[in-house]
Amino acid sequence: MGLGARTKVLLGVREEVVGALTDKVGAADFGVGDTELRGALVTSGHRRLAHELLCDISDYHERLILRPLPQSTLLASFNFRSNESSIAFEQQNFRYFPRSLGQILQHAHTKELHLRFSVGRWDAESWGQRPWHGAREGGNGVELWAWIEADNDDEAFTRWQTLVNSLSGLFCASLNFIDATRTIRPVMAFEPEGDHRNASNLHLLHGTLPHEVVCTENLTPFLKLLPCKGKAGISSLLDGHKLFDASFQTMAIDVRPVCDEQGQDCLLEMDQSVDMVLDVVRSKRPQDNPIPRPPPIEEIQCDSSKYYNAEDTCYPFNSGAEPSWSLKEIFGRPLKGACPLTEAGEGSETLCINTPPERTIQVETEGQFAESRTSSDTVRCYKLPVGSNFDLVLPEQQMTTGLVLPEPPLSASRSINGHGQERGSAQSVIKNPSSTDAVEFVYLESLPWFMRPYLHTLRAHVDTTTENPVKETFYRPAVDRQRGSHLEIRMVIPPASTLTLTYDFEKAILRYTEYPPDANRGFDAAPAVIRILSPNRSGDRKGIYLRTTPLLLSLPTPDFSMPYNVIILTSTVMALGFGNIFNLLVRRFVGVDEAPQNGGFKGVLQDKIARLTGRFKKS
Amino acid sequence: MATPEDANASLKTEVSEIASVHPNQSPKSGVSSAKPPQESTRSLWLRRTVILSFWAVAVLLGLPVWWKTTAIYRSDLPLQAMSDWAEGKIGKPVFPLRIAVEAPILPQDTHSLIQTTQHVLDDLNEFSAHQLRLMPVDPPLTANASQHVVVDGTRNSGDDKDTTLLIRLIPVETGETPRSYLQPYSPTLHVYYSPSHISSVSSTASPLAAFIARELHDIFAEEQAQLAYLLSTTSGEHIAKVHSLPQETAAELQRRSTRVLKYAPTYHLTFSLFTPTSTPSAWDIEAALRQYMAPLLESFSAISNFTIDTQVQLYATLSPSFPPPEYDENAKAWTLRNEDLSGFINAAEWPLSPSIADGPTVNFALYVPEQSQSPLLVKDSGASSWLVPQWGGVAILNPPSTEQDAAPLSALSKEALAPAMQTFSNQLISLLGLPQTPASLPLRLSTLTRVRAASLVFSASSTLGALAQVYQKLPSIPVPDTVAKSVDLALQHLQQACDELREGRFQGALEHARIADGEAEKAFFERSMVGQVYFPDEHKVAVYLPLLGPIAVPLLMAALKEIKNEVAAFKARRAAS
Repeated sequence: MGLGARTKVLLGVREEVVGALTDKVGAADFGVGDTELRGALVTSGHRRLAHELLCDISDYHERLILRPLPQSTLLASFNFRSNESSIAFEQQNFRYFPRSLGQILQHAHTKELHLRFSVGRWDAESWGQRPWHGAREGGNGVELWAWIEADNDDEAFTRWQTLVNSLSGLFCASLNFIDATRTIRPVMAFEPEGDHRNASNLHLLHGTLPHEVVCTENLTPFLKLLPCKGKAGISSLLDGHKLFDASFQTMAIDVRPVCDEQGQDCLLEMDQSVDMVLDVVRSKRPQDNPIPRPPPIEEIQCDSSKYYNAEDTCYPFNSGAEPSWSLKEIFGRPLKGACPLTEAGEGSETLCINTPPERTIQVETEGQFAESRTSSDTVRCYKLPVGSNFDLVLPEQQMTTGLVLPEPPLSASRSINGHGQERGSAQSVIKNPSSTDAVEFVYLESLPWFMRPYLHTLRAHVDTTTENPVKETFYRPAVDRQRGSHLEIRMVIPPASTLTLTYDFEKAILRYTEYPPDANRGFDAAPAVIRILSPNRSGDRKGIYLRTTPLLLSLPTPDFSMPYNVIILTSTVMALGFGNIFNLLVRRFVGVDEAPQNGGFKGVLQDKIARLTGRFKKS
Repeated sequence: MATPEDANASLKTEVSEIASVHPNQSPKSGVSSAKPPQESTRSLWLRRTVILSFWAVAVLLGLPVWWKTTAIYRSDLPLQAMSDWAEGKIGKPVFPLRIAVEAPILPQDTHSLIQTTQHVLDDLNEFSAHQLRLMPVDPPLTANASQHVVVDGTRNSGDDKDTTLLIRLIPVETGETPRSYLQPYSPTLHVYYSPSHISSVSSTASPLAAFIARELHDIFAEEQAQLAYLLSTTSGEHIAKVHSLPQETAAELQRRSTRVLKYAPTYHLTFSLFTPTSTPSAWDIEAALRQYMAPLLESFSAISNFTIDTQVQLYATLSPSFPPPEYDENAKAWTLRNEDLSGFINAAEWPLSPSIADGPTVNFALYVPEQSQSPLLVKDSGASSWLVPQWGGVAILNPPSTEQDAAPLSALSKEALAPAMQTFSNQLISLLGLPQTPASLPLRLSTLTRVRAASLVFSASSTLGALAQVYQKLPSIPVPDTVAKSVDLALQHLQQACDELREGRFQGALEHARIADGEAEKAFFERSMVGQVYFPDEHKVAVYLPLLGPIAVPLLMAALKEIKNEVAAFKARRAAS
């Protein structure tokens, strides 16, 4: 690589960083127009590709972007990207790419992989647009989709089984429960992100586990995949206690091949990201004393406008100030300097914070660091010191301006209507907030087999027009105990309208052994996935997605002691019948006066007692 | 609630009232004195037939149906053959090695030389199962039709791959004779002799014959010891027949056999670079493997296949329970105590999980210590590498000593990896069980082939024996037909393996032994056999009792009562007569 190439690389990196940041932190509200932004992003995408190809050795990037959100919450987006050249990958020489995951991908012939662990709900009304346009998040629980190379559908499914079973072991998750009933083959909702010109016969399979509880045991293997393993760099902030205490968190792993124009030199790129929304007040509570207690009355600033203020009661004064916080308080552990593997230059600015320019930020560190400001000073990025702790301290501050949150392109909610244990109906309400653009999107439902939708009851209705919004429908009905329903609808919502999609369904009755141990809790139905086709503002191949919340479906639940009761009852009836008939057949019937006097058990007993007493008397 | 006495009393009064209402009834039918009329024989026999038929249905129909429906399917296994194999009663492996002799002399002389040498060799040999058979081969240059003599029909050509060793006799004029040279990369022994030796080949005291015999015996001494050890440890039958090994040889073989990996057709080699800091983060492993590992693996390819994967793991710290290294002033080095080495590998944190495909994984860990703790050595011995039995090897790579403030090494070059790679090669050789002598690599590999074939035969036999025992001792486990099929296959291939061994085709024997062992393992670890080993009887009782209890009691009572009556009647009849 000559000198010229090196400069190009650095240039590419700079462009990329600026592009990514503008993309991420709402440049839309700081004077950069939509078209301009898109243009910048497209170039940055190309440059990035070029940069990746120029660096034919494997490399590693990481970045944490912090962004205060309304209601004293904080969005922390961690992103780790490691590349491995596809030649080294084929030869199983792993450097930054984890060997365990690499071997699984090779064994299962998986060309592209997307794995998501999510908890909580993104509150789009208060928090605005989703991080990464929703492309790096999954439905509640675990979601997995992959492009698998195989000659036919059966082989693809066998390899999919291998994949889910191995990933299950790697991530300590119940991924092995993704069987044929939870697997679908989406048609419109997903597009490959990577270059698959060299691969033929790719099969897309998608599985969800909405019931899975994501917890610390999934974070530990996630961290082990990173080259710096949570011991240095931004990953040292990731702590299970805080991560799973967040209002919303999603962990994503994306593996995709990236090739140059000719499709010759390929890289395998692994993207690991964690997005979480922390409640600042809640996170600041000390871990040894997590129960919130009121501070002493002297420390509270009282709202004197309230009439009920007294000596010992007080309504706290809400100044509307931004709360104070520091990295160490929020994440519960210090940031242990930079991961030395990240490249020099712009790529080494691994920590960025997006706040209004007047927000005071103090840096506490003993090492060398560098700060740079971009996007009209709304983004401050820091080059972290190697080997010494780093902390950002934001004092409490009264803010006059705030960041304008970009509005999400669509908002969606889904619920179950109806009553009783036999039937129900599902309703999805999708709103287009834009006053100018019609939005075209794909709506994907993957329903469990025991929730049987009636397709003839499917109604899509837009409140502003009578035109049918449904453009295309793909439906694959469920087969009991073999596969679930798969419904994909392409629809268009006119500007400033609300679309209501309803369908009725019937609840199946399960077999005794098919109920889980907590059968009365209900059964989860996976969130619906919405992919926005146009207008596409993200500008890359990741796409724009949003997901609804999962549904909790209550099915008729039997009494689980039933089988033994049935055995007992049936046996009693049979024994009664048998006893009667048998006695009628074998007993001899005589008159009452003819029956032996001392017959039966009582007679025998009396006889015995008499004999015993007689013997005692004798002796 | 009224007590039974009350109820009886009221009944009695009622009956007496009835009696008083009908005073014209005969006084015989008084309450206390009434007797039921004698039962007619017909009704008696009818009742007995009814009881008997109920019992007949229960016993003849119910029991067999119950037995049939709850029986566990157990297919027949050739138990006798299986335990015979396990006890070594059949299929004793023998190892006849063919050794070709190529001599530029007259065929008659060659013949007599071979006969004499064979004689001396047989005298030297103490282990009957392992025999060296000498046979002549035509010297390529002098071969022509007139000299073509068939000896015993076992004439051999030089390129036969079943020939273990080729002895090439080369006449020389100078130097000490006879002397020998074993080719390191081909199974050939060059024996240099002076032509004067040939004259006396027919006599048993021929120095050339004695020399060749002794050389051969020395070359195959370790193989014999290994095979003898194998026979003595795996099967009780053989102990008596095997000559007793010297104590230290046995101990050495025992030590070596415990570290050897179980045989598998494919091994996965994982080379990992561990460092507690962030450097070095790269190594030129691909080139290093190509240069230092590939030739070795190539030569093993006849026995096993190998896949290789490598990884770099930074921030791989030692386990917190591992005692930290101590600084030794004398050696100017950080030292690890010998007894702590077993805890060196931090299994909880280091990603050394086995490879995903079939076959065992051999791990080779290269540990680069921190700059501040370098050099790191093992106490006393000063070694920087050790072998973990049946798991792999560990090597510590101390970066070349530089000034304290120098920047740490960021990448390891191929040259820097060379010592570690040589250590790993040696460790792999001992993990695979390659014998240390003789000097010729092909000979060592062919020895390994024989030892592996024999150990596979023994392992398969003992697995079959264990299966036979399980079959006999646990009557409640189901045995599906696939197990029987696998057992049949295993027995077949065992037999074939032994036949091949007897005929000296060791490669084929290894192949058959491998299949036999695989099938035996498959039969033993059949999943459906494990599933229902324990199905508690309490469950059966809980399910059956509510039905069987109420039905069995009337049946039993009726039968007992009838038998009692019959016995009483029989006694009465005897008393009457």
